[in-house]
Amino acid sequence: MAGTLTETREDTTLDAPWNVLVHDDPVNLMPYVTWVLMKIFSYPENRAAALMMTIHRHGRAIVWSGEREQAEFFAQQLQARQLKSSIERTE
Amino acid sequence: MKVAPLLKGGLRIDVESPLDWRILRGITQDARTGGLDLADRVSSAMLADPESDDWRDYVVPDLRDGFDAQLAIIERAVADAATTAAGCEEPGRIFIHPEEAEDWFGGLNQARLALEERHNLSAAIESEMTPGRRSAWFRSQFYADIQGMLLTLVMR
Repeated sequence: MAGTLTETREDTTLDAPWNVLVHDDPVNLMPYVTWVLMKIFSYPENRAAALMMTIHRHGRAIVWSGEREQAEFFAQQLQARQLKSSIERTE
Repeated sequence: MKVAPLLKGGLRIDVESPLDWRILRGITQDARTGGLDLADRVSSAMLADPESDDWRDYVVPDLRDGFDAQLAIIERAVADAATTAAGCEEPGRIFIHPEEAEDWFGGLNQARLALEERHNLSAAIESEMTPGRRSAWFRSQFYADIQGMLLTLVMR
């Protein structure tokens, strides 16, 4: 008696995460940028300060990665505090 | 003018001369002069995406309202203090309460951004400044000093 072989394959594709970027500008005070990153992302001061220095030296830095909706929320929070920010899908 | 922290939190600005009043009124005037659209500016990298219509339609107007509100708070505080001080011998007093510190910081930031846009102060060489550019530079430094006090003494 011939049986039926059923093969199940699972193929789960995770949505690629999104990056939140902060861009450098000539006006925002460096301690303020650190403070904003601490306040919005609850980062410890040393991590926030390191990100701030990356923004200052390289013109921009990825400050957070995750789901798109949350990334948009963070970008809006950063812009409300006058930090130029954007989101991008990770490669 | 004197700026000092308060024991209960916040800052107090003592306004001692007509020049002090002019400088304080200059914060919102500087922020509004030049037609800088700060909401567009902070969103510009986001708006470069062709699929950013929602951002332009919903987020940018909110940002614009928030930035306008910051200037309105400063304007009202200065105007109220001037009204109270009118005819008094004592210096005028402006109180920046802790819950308004971020709004003041933001308004001062707007003024510095607008001055930077108009005068390119970050590239300025002190000995070569025109009187107008020098005046803008001093105002920008003064605004940054108050921001530094707000950040260090109130917001952190």
